[in-house]
Amino acid sequence: MVTFFKRALTSPAGRACLALILVLALGVIFNADGAFLKFGTHRDTLRQSSVLGILACGMTMVIITGGIDLAVGSILAVSAVSFSLLTIHMDWPWWLAVCACLFLGSCLGGISGALVSRAKLQPFIATLAMMTFARGLAKYITGGQKISTYLTMPDGQVVIKDLPQIFKSIDSRILGGNLSIVSVIFFVCIAAAWIFLARHKWGREIYSVGGNEEAARLSGVPVRMTKFLAYAFSGLMCAVAGIAQAAQETQGDPEAGDKYELTAIAMVVIGGTSISGGGRGSMGLTLLGVLTIGYLQKILSINAVPEAGRLMITGIIIVFAVLTQKRRTK
Amino acid sequence: MRAISRILPCVLAIGALSAAGAAAQAKWTIGMSQCSLEEPWRVQMNADIKAEADKHPEIKMVFKDAQNDTLVQRSHVEEFVSAKIDLLIISPKEAQPLAEPVSKAMAAGIPVIVLDRDIIGENYTQFIGADNLKIGKAAGDWLVKNYKGKKATIVELMGLQTSTPGQDRHNGFLNAIKGSDLNVIFRADCKWLEPDARKEMESALARYKKIDIVYGHNDPSAHGAYLAAKAVGREKEMVFIGIDSLPQEGVVYVKQGILTATFQYPTGGDVAILEALKILAGQKVEKRIVLGSRLFTAANVASGGEALK
Repeated sequence: MVTFFKRALTSPAGRACLALILVLALGVIFNADGAFLKFGTHRDTLRQSSVLGILACGMTMVIITGGIDLAVGSILAVSAVSFSLLTIHMDWPWWLAVCACLFLGSCLGGISGALVSRAKLQPFIATLAMMTFARGLAKYITGGQKISTYLTMPDGQVVIKDLPQIFKSIDSRILGGNLSIVSVIFFVCIAAAWIFLARHKWGREIYSVGGNEEAARLSGVPVRMTKFLAYAFSGLMCAVAGIAQAAQETQGDPEAGDKYELTAIAMVVIGGTSISGGGRGSMGLTLLGVLTIGYLQKILSINAVPEAGRLMITGIIIVFAVLTQKRRTK
Repeated sequence: MRAISRILPCVLAIGALSAAGAAAQAKWTIGMSQCSLEEPWRVQMNADIKAEADKHPEIKMVFKDAQNDTLVQRSHVEEFVSAKIDLLIISPKEAQPLAEPVSKAMAAGIPVIVLDRDIIGENYTQFIGADNLKIGKAAGDWLVKNYKGKKATIVELMGLQTSTPGQDRHNGFLNAIKGSDLNVIFRADCKWLEPDARKEMESALARYKKIDIVYGHNDPSAHGAYLAAKAVGREKEMVFIGIDSLPQEGVVYVKQGILTATFQYPTGGDVAILEALKILAGQKVEKRIVLGSRLFTAANVASGGEALK
């Protein structure tokens, strides 16, 4: 028994599980008159974490290559406003609008990737620039206003449009109301990312680039292309997250996703993916990190903990979670 | 070649500026220093100013957006002073650091209208703003009047509690419901953000079987709460009220039957231009104007709301 626990705790996944179990234990202790033990609470937690979780999928790829992507929140906003504009205001069919947004997101992510891999900019700087640019782009597209079903015509007339069916569909639930579509989208994203990372040639190349870039180059790994694709994939995930965000808000807000990059990074790091490169990490770990942060936010929320307390507790938990991840050296 | 490439843009810029100057026949130039355009409410303020100014061909507006940075706004005021504009409208980010630049503008003979947020000291021509404490109280009074001694539970989704508007909308409301049978059972700081409000509301719904009233410190918060309640089929058992009444947000939500009531927090943009014209014409104006609020409900939204005393 003891050896089982010892072995479990020496693997990164075991330690990430430990952090999640500790947070869940907090939830059981501070269960807010039983609210935490209701099924609906867990369904909502999963839905609330989904948008951030989708961002964390792309972020994991980028972090394993030894980079960072600060632009995820801003690209999410570009996608959210474009999707709302195309479907609500311009009446595009939903599949075409989805494709256009996914393409746009991948392009913006790809530009970050090109800046990192071709122009050799530091990932922090390249994506910081993209974060600023994309936020500006989102505001430019919308003129600074939210894109909602309320429309002012050029002649000053006001029209209130119907919310497109795709918004309602994404924000609905299946399996008798027990699973949100947004969560299904998150699972599809993380499964796709997991398959790429763990089973595909490109995934192995991502690990080798993150582990030792020079060695990867010498052994014939297309380093530039691998990095470029990691950022483009992150951009794609941002676009998916943006569509999910717009559907849940029933509008496109150019300020959406502000500071989401920090939460997404925290989720990846708490899972145990190493931010200092070294090519360590996995999607499974990220899933645990997403759940840890998601549950923590939910527990603080149902107990109506005041803002100041929430921030301090979240900070402390992040430190503890990352400390449990630290490889113990004898 | 290099010198030319440096000089050429300057020449072009000067040319463009003088052409613009020749085209404008406005008698007066009014500078508008906006602290931030990140909130829709401030975008609306600029739109209100522009709409009113467009009705008066004798004035020309110049807008500057400080992007939520006090020092940038300070330099904008200084730029306006050195450009010798005829009147300055400022919606300051902070009370203390902008008092000095504003008094310098006054010293340079430029009248100043301070809009929405006050500055320290009295060295300006006029202050125009609404009173959040009063609006919060109006929301509370309205509920007390409508529930007439019936017991009711309230979820309060607060605006950023480190900001004065957030604190005032909270305290004004609390004063109004004190001693009544209305009880706040759940409150959270949603920082004016709709996604946050939706999350907090989901927690409140999970925890409490009976919620009668949702009070959002702004309309998007109330809307987010509505979406949360609708997702679990409980939107019919409670009423949602909000503050701000922007034409494209709160007023539309009332029209759609999402909000039961919204209390307007006026931008004062139109009033500022009308007062500016008085000042420019040499008339005496009041030192402080406190804008009145309006209440929008399903009954009166078509006729443009009802003025609150």
